[in-house]
Amino acid sequence: MSSDYEYSDDDAEYYDDDEEMIDGTQEEGDDSDDDVDMDTFGDDFKVSTKGKKKSYEVDYDSLSQQQVEKLMQKDVDHICGIFGVDVSTAGLLLRHMKWNKEKLIEKYMDNPDSVAVAAGVTIPEARPAPPSRSNSQAAAAAANQPSRRPLTRGSKLLSLASGSKSSSSKSPTTPQRAPPISRTSSWKRTQDEPFVCQICFNDAPNLQPLALDCEHAFCSDCWKDYLTAKIMEEGEHSVRCMAEDCALVLPDPFIRELLVPAMDAPAPTTKEAKAAEAQGLKTWSHFQELLVRHFVACNAHLKFCPYPSCTNTVSCPSAASKSSLTTVVPTVSCGARGIGGEEMSQSQHGPGLQGKEHKFCFGCPIESDHRPVVCNVAKMWLRKCRDDSETANWIKSNTKECSQCQSTIEKNGGCNHMTCKKCKHEFCWVCMGPWSEHGTAWYSCNRYDEKTGVDARDAQSKSRASLERYLHYYNRWANHEQSAKLSVELYAKTEKKMEEMQITSSLTWIEVQFMKKAVEEVEKCRMTLKWTYAMAYYLASGNHKELFEDNQRDLEKAVEDLSELLESPLEAENIPNLRAQVTNKTVYVQKRNEIVLEDTANGFLEGRWHWNTPVEGFDDDDNEA
Amino acid sequence: MDARLRRVNKEITDCKNDKTSQIKIELVDESPFHLKGSFPGPEGTPYEGGKFEVDIVIPESYPFQPVKMKFITKLYHPNVSSASGAICLDILKDAWSPVLTLKSTLISLQSLLCSPEPNDPQDAEVAKHYMTSKQSFEETAAYWTHIYAGGPPPKGSGGAANDEVAIAGLDKAQVDRFEALGFQRSKVVDVLRRLNYRGANIAKISDDVVVEKLLMA
Repeated sequence: MSSDYEYSDDDAEYYDDDEEMIDGTQEEGDDSDDDVDMDTFGDDFKVSTKGKKKSYEVDYDSLSQQQVEKLMQKDVDHICGIFGVDVSTAGLLLRHMKWNKEKLIEKYMDNPDSVAVAAGVTIPEARPAPPSRSNSQAAAAAANQPSRRPLTRGSKLLSLASGSKSSSSKSPTTPQRAPPISRTSSWKRTQDEPFVCQICFNDAPNLQPLALDCEHAFCSDCWKDYLTAKIMEEGEHSVRCMAEDCALVLPDPFIRELLVPAMDAPAPTTKEAKAAEAQGLKTWSHFQELLVRHFVACNAHLKFCPYPSCTNTVSCPSAASKSSLTTVVPTVSCGARGIGGEEMSQSQHGPGLQGKEHKFCFGCPIESDHRPVVCNVAKMWLRKCRDDSETANWIKSNTKECSQCQSTIEKNGGCNHMTCKKCKHEFCWVCMGPWSEHGTAWYSCNRYDEKTGVDARDAQSKSRASLERYLHYYNRWANHEQSAKLSVELYAKTEKKMEEMQITSSLTWIEVQFMKKAVEEVEKCRMTLKWTYAMAYYLASGNHKELFEDNQRDLEKAVEDLSELLESPLEAENIPNLRAQVTNKTVYVQKRNEIVLEDTANGFLEGRWHWNTPVEGFDDDDNEA
Repeated sequence: MDARLRRVNKEITDCKNDKTSQIKIELVDESPFHLKGSFPGPEGTPYEGGKFEVDIVIPESYPFQPVKMKFITKLYHPNVSSASGAICLDILKDAWSPVLTLKSTLISLQSLLCSPEPNDPQDAEVAKHYMTSKQSFEETAAYWTHIYAGGPPPKGSGGAANDEVAIAGLDKAQVDRFEALGFQRSKVVDVLRRLNYRGANIAKISDDVVVEKLLMA
């Protein structure tokens, strides 16, 4: 294939590719056969292109493992075409360069040999393939004059190596630019002398030694065990030759040959052989998965679905860069539903998660849907809650501040006559006024209205204001979170009510679905509301914040009204009325929720929101406003 | 026979038959998967003359996973924890290769004693000492070799009163100076050791800082 390959073709391809990359949308640049794939999978994946896109939604695609593999294949084919190398070599080169095609092409054009060596495709020229005897002398000398990395290839192995491998056809002067496509047979080594595997020390005559171009031969069982350890235990997607300091990476066909039985191989007969074959296949498929994971991890516009045992990937080019996360909240869904493992869905997540769509935030791992706040603000808020909430609550209920120096004091016994440890101010714990005005009424305080006491309490409340402010937002935030958690129960309750309705009135199953819809809407809005409190806490005060809080209030009011309707007792004659009311309210709540989301999202796009503390990713002058 | 057992047995036998290397491997209990290795400290280093023992545990998936090794003998070295004996060496972690053997790994440990890598330390305090004053570090390492590994007594060593100071690798005159200010000797040693109060650092750290730390300790 490479013999009549024209270099100018390389160039043309190279520039083609370059243009694609300049667009920055590798995904969109990909031609139509992926779109065709998407259509065939269309039933399984919800692609959010239908209808008008709302400003708080992002464009994204969901991909299955096979589709990601196809994307990888495309890159690999591309590289194959440009460099004229075989598929497995192209794969190794791309993996080495973290799937950055541009960089690979640039570096490879510059110096193909050094890239190939660094990627573990070829052995460096300076070190000829069969280790020379001088190395073995060094190894022998190592005992007397130890070096940090003594050579361990024993002389036994060396004699064996030089006996059989010096005949191999490779000449060290020509670097391997394009290894032959099919070289399956070339890994098997035939021995003139009896072969002893240097790892398991097995010398059975039927052992099949295998080696890469580096000629480090070991028996196939050791290779298999090694692969299993590396792939299954260490999760390594690039496995190197077993010899010490050998940087060659095992090409995929080599791994496949070891782990997957050949087509014409006889079916295993013994129990052990069957188990070994199953283990091999399992390792191979895990290896494939690791490759896909590596590919996804290297691409900023791809992300794995974080739900347990889900293998889908989401592509979201608009949220690929860090800076974009200050303007959008990329809530995406991989399209699958429910939890893969049976036992998972039962015990750990309760019935609520069963059949739920796999929704997650493309930008951060903190919570599946934290709209309308952007990732960084949500992160700040959660950190603050984790650090401060319990402490703040405890401080609020157990301490007071000294009215003179404002140090926080816990009263842990004794009388109400307090003496501040720091400033020696003497005051009354009950009224916070100075002790001197208490005269002799030492154990009771009847002077609540005394002016000095009132002043002291004022000072106290001022110093508490920031704490109060935080707790105000936190309690509402936590309240909505709690309510959302209880939604599982509400679902169950509502289902019962729906059954009841079908019995007591003439409504059909379809007609009572309005209840379920209302519950879903309430849950959704509670999530929005929850995060609006985090947002409001950090918003700098001003007109924008007031408008935001107006929207928030309207939504909250609507949600609470609807909640109340859902909880109200059922009376047969009242059902038609209730149905109308609930349906109305649901639509209204939906609208209000959309307004909050839309307005906030637009605000981010316009840079309308200003914060009262510095937020990562936002300009400093924004924060000062 | 189990491949792991076969390999370990062969390694132990090979090591026994090899008379030149001075590396010894012996069983700790009946199991061949828990061993004790030992080797002499390399010549021309502060470890010369000492015998260093290493605890060896062979993991389930040996030789495809590295052996677990740590020093039983205490030694003063930047890449070995002076408290636990834990070793920082690439071949015991990600640079492990299945062709490495117990013997070759022990040889690597021996060579680690020749060439410490203070930029990749296991024991940061020791590494700092090494970087500050190599001569003082070597004296301390030799002293440790003497008291823990049965090495020869170092030249010009003082009496028993010197012990605590020498183990910490500190200057006796400096310790005496701060002790004279009324601080407990052990406390002075502890603080000066943590401050790395050695060699050129003595001039850099003011007495006030030392006294402040002593008061806080």
